[in-house]
Amino acid sequence: MLNLEETTKYIELASKSGGQAKIEGDTVFITIPPDRLVDVADTIFNKYNTSFRVCAGVDERPLNGHFSLVHLFTDDKAGLYVAVKTYLSGESPVAPSITSVVPAADWCEMEARDLLGIEFTGRETYRLVLPPWWPSNLYPLRKETPYNYRPEPRLESEKLGYSREYGVIPLGPYHPALHEPEYFELYVEGERVVDVKYRGFHVHRGVEKLAESRMSYQQVNFLAERICGICGFVHSTCYALAVEKAAKLDVPERAQFIRSIVLEVERIHSHLLLLGVAFHLLGYDAGFMHIWRIRERVMQLAELLTGSRKTYGINLVGGVRRDVNEEKKQKTLEALRELGREFKNFIEVAISVPQVKKRLTGSGVLPREEAVKLSVEGPVARASGVNKDARRDLPYAAYKYVSFKVPVYTEGDNLARVLVRVDEVFESISIIEQLLDKLPGGSILLTDFEIPEGRVGVQVVEAPRGGDIHYVVTGKGAPYRWRVRAPTYANIPALRVMLRDQPLADAPITIASIDPCFSCTDRVVVVRDGRIEEIKLTQLVK
Amino acid sequence: MSHKPLKLIIIAGSKGRVTVKYPYQEPLITPEFRGEIEIDPAKCIGCGACVKACPPNALELLESEKEVILRYFVGRCIFCWRCIDVCPVNAIKGTRNFELATDKHTDLYTLVVHTRTTCEICGKPFETTRMQRYIAEKSPVTEEYASICPDCRKRLLAEAVSARRVGISEHKE
Amino acid sequence: MSIKSSILKRSIWVFHLNTGSCNACDIEILDALTPFHDAERFGVKLVVSPRHADAMLLTGPVTAEALPKVINAIEAMPRPRMIIALGSCGCGGGIWHDTYSTIGGVNKLLEILKERGIVVDAVYYVPGCPIRPEALLYAVALIKGIVSKKREMKIYKAE
Repeated sequence: MLNLEETTKYIELASKSGGQAKIEGDTVFITIPPDRLVDVADTIFNKYNTSFRVCAGVDERPLNGHFSLVHLFTDDKAGLYVAVKTYLSGESPVAPSITSVVPAADWCEMEARDLLGIEFTGRETYRLVLPPWWPSNLYPLRKETPYNYRPEPRLESEKLGYSREYGVIPLGPYHPALHEPEYFELYVEGERVVDVKYRGFHVHRGVEKLAESRMSYQQVNFLAERICGICGFVHSTCYALAVEKAAKLDVPERAQFIRSIVLEVERIHSHLLLLGVAFHLLGYDAGFMHIWRIRERVMQLAELLTGSRKTYGINLVGGVRRDVNEEKKQKTLEALRELGREFKNFIEVAISVPQVKKRLTGSGVLPREEAVKLSVEGPVARASGVNKDARRDLPYAAYKYVSFKVPVYTEGDNLARVLVRVDEVFESISIIEQLLDKLPGGSILLTDFEIPEGRVGVQVVEAPRGGDIHYVVTGKGAPYRWRVRAPTYANIPALRVMLRDQPLADAPITIASIDPCFSCTDRVVVVRDGRIEEIKLTQLVK
Repeated sequence: MSHKPLKLIIIAGSKGRVTVKYPYQEPLITPEFRGEIEIDPAKCIGCGACVKACPPNALELLESEKEVILRYFVGRCIFCWRCIDVCPVNAIKGTRNFELATDKHTDLYTLVVHTRTTCEICGKPFETTRMQRYIAEKSPVTEEYASICPDCRKRLLAEAVSARRVGISEHKE
Repeated sequence: MSIKSSILKRSIWVFHLNTGSCNACDIEILDALTPFHDAERFGVKLVVSPRHADAMLLTGPVTAEALPKVINAIEAMPRPRMIIALGSCGCGGGIWHDTYSTIGGVNKLLEILKERGIVVDAVYYVPGCPIRPEALLYAVALIKGIVSKKREMKIYKAE
């Protein structure tokens, strides 16, 4: 199934750079010395046109005395995962930064610096995730740091940024347009936004460390689900698939079908939620109420299929816990028919409302080149003409058995992002119908299996907001390292482009149009140092 | 095009009232819903299998000299029902109850108090009385052997091995 | 009790304070306000400033980074102030009750508030993960005395 020609170029690249490569399943693992990292990343990202997903630092000192840094790419055309690994010194880890060739690597490098103490050369560094008062020599993800060690918190509040030339408008951390504690600072000149500063990571809860210490393999499923309350099932599926890939488990087909069905139910609920919130922000509250009325049917459907309205809790490594019987199947089909009809009737009306149409058209434009450069994900990418969807490019679970269209728009504005989601709702309904039709028999849960130590699994799952990636290194009874990157993490940097030169009144809807999910993004990070950050952003203004 | 937005009135009219009357009527919950768990104190043996499986530590074993208490804190429960899957004696039952709101923190706890046995040899407290009986019923070990704590078992084994090779090969902790 | 009953007579205006939750409780709060459950039947209104609020709907385990802002928001509420802790994170810290970057739920928060001399007049706990919209309606009905309390502490003796 794998294209041999595609894999050979990676193997050649590795040997040319003085490293090795091996292929396991659909993943190419490349190990190279640190000094060649920038060249290799440049070739893979810019020459081979892959998507950059994330980088992960791993504390491997208990195993081999080194830190390691893994850069994860996906070659969407060939359906390949590419993991580029470098070993760093165990005492003072220093790695070359790849942000000069891959701008999207900015945040994940800073995250590795905060949490593992890996220094980066060739770039400006700042604190991203941990609070400003966090002790500078305490790295939570190093293996010697206990997961429950809490330094006495200092109660320091945000300091408002200051600018001589521009007006400063704070948005958050508690703001009616945001339902999560995040802080945006908009720099305005009259009515125009000239720059935006984002200070997030208020929702850093230490998920990755928790999974590596207190939990066991099966418990992490429930933790993964709680990374995000909107697209949680995506995370638990992604985690389970990554572990299953690492341990080479053969999961029953029926379980994979049920996973796909629930993933699509989740996608419908998430898209309807975003559409409702978008209408609310545009002042079209009638639309907001109607769409949430329609959405309630999806929530009841989810409860019928899984036992809970949200955070479904049916995923385990090796399968699922709840089966779909004939009665549930019929009820689901009936609910979907009704949903499709109601949604179609309603959305035709809603999209034609003048205030909705006018304010969405032409605002918050993200040009295609910027979208590629920043490696944005999901509907944000597809609305800017980037045709990528992990369900089609890197098929997982049961998506290879169904046919569906991937909607792509080229305008790149807020309307395009809304329309991509509207189209996807209809596609999702059709996918669930196909899956229920083809549902194979058999068991739903694999029992009696072993997960060997030291294996690596990488998995991408297309969340409602874009590609979600999990990187798992297996350990004894629990993951040795578990790295999660949610799609919003990749999409937030694009807001700088979208908001620039926009009227201030359009800022909330533009922020909402990427469907931000901060709880996903922040899981592992702590706080960000305001002062250093400010310097950095002023440079980015122009 | 210009009249399209007005169609919303037709949609709203055809839907009528959708609001449920809860709390003046029964809530709309499906039979599949996972709610609060109930521990049957007549069946629970205090083995701690549920405590090990519980992802958020809502179930905890509190040990004192004379008692072992299984504490269920519903305020931290994530309603995953993993405890029901792993319970060896089916003492935990799932309910559909979600009306748990209260103004007192202490209302959120359920305690199952077990007495403890002491080791026949060293007198140190170890497993619960129920657990000891369960092990004696289910496994081939003798009742005397089951009433000795793991430390003493190890010591006895070591002594026996050093004295002469005696077959206690089925020994497990 | 007199302070509490003065809250009860009025419509309860709530401010939604997300202290680092996963969003599931937050979307269920919104759900409770939309047509299907319509909490406005009981006079519950979501307000945009803590200064207008009678009660704080607190979701999430209170992360170290959000803590100072949470304290500011609670301090801004007028007396009598009430906190309704929602979900397993709000009530008991949830699945991350002991990690390095959370403080572990509303009880620890109340201790910190007490140290700083900020009085909270009443606290309600609504378990659930996430809470159902009905659970929030039940809590509101409980505060207003429409329904009676069902959950209480249970102690069993198993020989």
